[in-house]
Amino acid sequence: MIGFAGLSHLGIVSSIVAASKGHDVVAFDPDVTRCEALRRGQLPVVEPGLQELLASARPRIRFTSDPQALAACAVVICAEDVPTSVDNTSEFGPINRLLDTVEQQAAPGMSVVVLSQVPPGFTRQLARRWADRRLEVFYQAETLIFGQAVERALSPERMIVGCARPQQALPEAYANLLASFSCPILPMRYESAELAKIAINMFLVSSVSTTNILAELCEAIGADWSEIIPALRLDARIGPRAYVTPGLGLSGGNLERDLSTFSRLAQAAGTDARMVEAWLVNSAHRQGWVLTTLAREVLSCQTDPMIAVWGLAYKPHTHSTKNSPALALLETLSGSGIRVQAYDPAIRLTRPDWPRFTQVSTPLEACGEADALAILTSWPEFASVDLTRVARIMRGRLVIDPLGMLDPAGCQETGLRQRRLGVPTLTEDPVLC
Amino acid sequence: MLTHASEAPSRPRRVVVLGASGFVGADLIEHLRGHEVPTLPLSSADVDLRQAESVERLVQLVDEGDSLVIVSALTPDKGKDVKTFMANLTMGAHVSAFLSRVRLAQVVYVSSDSVYDDQASLIDETTRCAPQTFHGLMHLARERMVTSALQPLKTPLLIIRPSLLYGARDSHNGYGPNRFLRSAREEARIELFGQGEETRDHVYIKDLSRLIGLGLLHGSQGVLNVATGQSVSFRKVAELVASMADHPVWIECRPRTGPISHRHFDIKTLLSRFPTFRLTPLQEGLADTLRQMKASAEKTMPIAV
Repeated sequence: MIGFAGLSHLGIVSSIVAASKGHDVVAFDPDVTRCEALRRGQLPVVEPGLQELLASARPRIRFTSDPQALAACAVVICAEDVPTSVDNTSEFGPINRLLDTVEQQAAPGMSVVVLSQVPPGFTRQLARRWADRRLEVFYQAETLIFGQAVERALSPERMIVGCARPQQALPEAYANLLASFSCPILPMRYESAELAKIAINMFLVSSVSTTNILAELCEAIGADWSEIIPALRLDARIGPRAYVTPGLGLSGGNLERDLSTFSRLAQAAGTDARMVEAWLVNSAHRQGWVLTTLAREVLSCQTDPMIAVWGLAYKPHTHSTKNSPALALLETLSGSGIRVQAYDPAIRLTRPDWPRFTQVSTPLEACGEADALAILTSWPEFASVDLTRVARIMRGRLVIDPLGMLDPAGCQETGLRQRRLGVPTLTEDPVLC
Repeated sequence: MLTHASEAPSRPRRVVVLGASGFVGADLIEHLRGHEVPTLPLSSADVDLRQAESVERLVQLVDEGDSLVIVSALTPDKGKDVKTFMANLTMGAHVSAFLSRVRLAQVVYVSSDSVYDDQASLIDETTRCAPQTFHGLMHLARERMVTSALQPLKTPLLIIRPSLLYGARDSHNGYGPNRFLRSAREEARIELFGQGEETRDHVYIKDLSRLIGLGLLHGSQGVLNVATGQSVSFRKVAELVASMADHPVWIECRPRTGPISHRHFDIKTLLSRFPTFRLTPLQEGLADTLRQMKASAEKTMPIAV
């Protein structure tokens, strides 16, 4: 029997995937309401394929708010997502409380695996704290991606396992669980495994940041970044799946949290973290791209403008809005009394403090009488919206499409003025409006 | 970080402007009066901030609840040396001594983008301050003086760091729009260093006054760079000026005295706090400046008998 403790996004996805691999699973969370909803098959998170997977794995998973159910498990995986504050630092109160609950139920010989996003040093401290409990303590790096979590959890590229003694064989029950994923298993020191997760995210950030600075230069010198991308993907040192699509800085919170953790550790250790500072500065700079474009081309020259926004989530196929560029933009626009009509297929915002903000139920409805449209999440459905109808019902022509969701030829044919990241604008001086 | 005390505009009771006869001060007074905001313009003739007595004088003239805009400074055209630097610090020290005694509604300190490193190519409010000149060092020191003086009374402080300013009343005649407009009119020529490749962000004085006005209306606090976010080369400025003249203007290139440098601003703070603010396009600002220069010249022209 495998136990999961903490049923936020990570715990829900991981426990359902473990059950789908044929393991009997107890999924515990102290939140009674959440467990009842999960028992009814109601998922509090949006992930493609998760609902279907839960339906198929239902006979092998038991959701419970009773911690005693964990006592019978050979392996208990703590999978509560570690929340982050506004400044992207981690808050460990919830995970520590959950670990206390697990400790109370743990029988000698049980394997306790920390799957939550903890910094280097956390697991060794825990192992020391529990030294007299005869428990096997492990850390396992999670590398889920919002919106692709099921796919990544079912077929991980590798399992990164932090151990007290990496040379020693893993306990049988835990080894069996890991073996069911048919991928390389990489045992290593606790600190190495904890830092490996941060290392992966920092490599992603370096790609994203490099992409963004180059895409911005493209906009200024007349190059088109989309023409350069294939050249990069065909370079074996960069690779076909490299993060070379330009974006609006970092969002989602996970990358930012790891950068914050790295900076804190580097500062304490006296190692050079100036590159990380530059990444964060660039991220903030790129997040302003939509507002800058909107201000220059519409807000500063239109009386009482109406702005349509498609997408509120920080990325498609997720309900998360953490550090979402859309919300940052809405905060500015609505805070300044500018009219906004927004649509998102997964998120419903309630903001009574934004009297001129309306959320509507279709993308076309959002465009009614709009002076500009901003597409801030790459939900696939946006690519198939009829551009002729968009052009007909919008009052203005500007479409801010940072991620290039709309067909450029279609925009041109319908007279829409599309603005994309990494693509130069044709007007020499957009201040002149 | 720039915050507004109130999102809804609220008219200040009275705005006292220190340095009211200067380029920025005079335009600001004109702007505020145009919007019927009560003002008290103070120039060095009213209060000589270099003198210690100025502290008592300010206490007499400025009331609790007034808003204060500090624009007084000896600009680089008055001297770029230690003496000017020290005189500016003395002025800052006297204003700070006054600020720690009187509870004001708000203080606006008009600083300069010279507080940033000359080598910084893209600047926003988070860019580290590393002044390379006495002028920049002076403004940074005065920013700190004023901040420190206001802390005990928790008086809201807005620090404004404008990029290069231009406008008809600018007497500094520094390299850029104003000098180009004057030399184009008076000598039918514009002198560039090198090919005038360097890019700078030129701000129309009226935009600065309007933004200070908005900062006063919203009780804004924090740091705000005032720039257009659109840097252009001196060559481009010269060509624009030449195209506006009613006679041919010769653009001359002189050997440059230093390496080519560029300066750009990321103005997301300005746009996010004042999203509907319209920055004057350079061409429009230059045309307006030229119009005012001509009008002013006509007024002062002797009447032929």
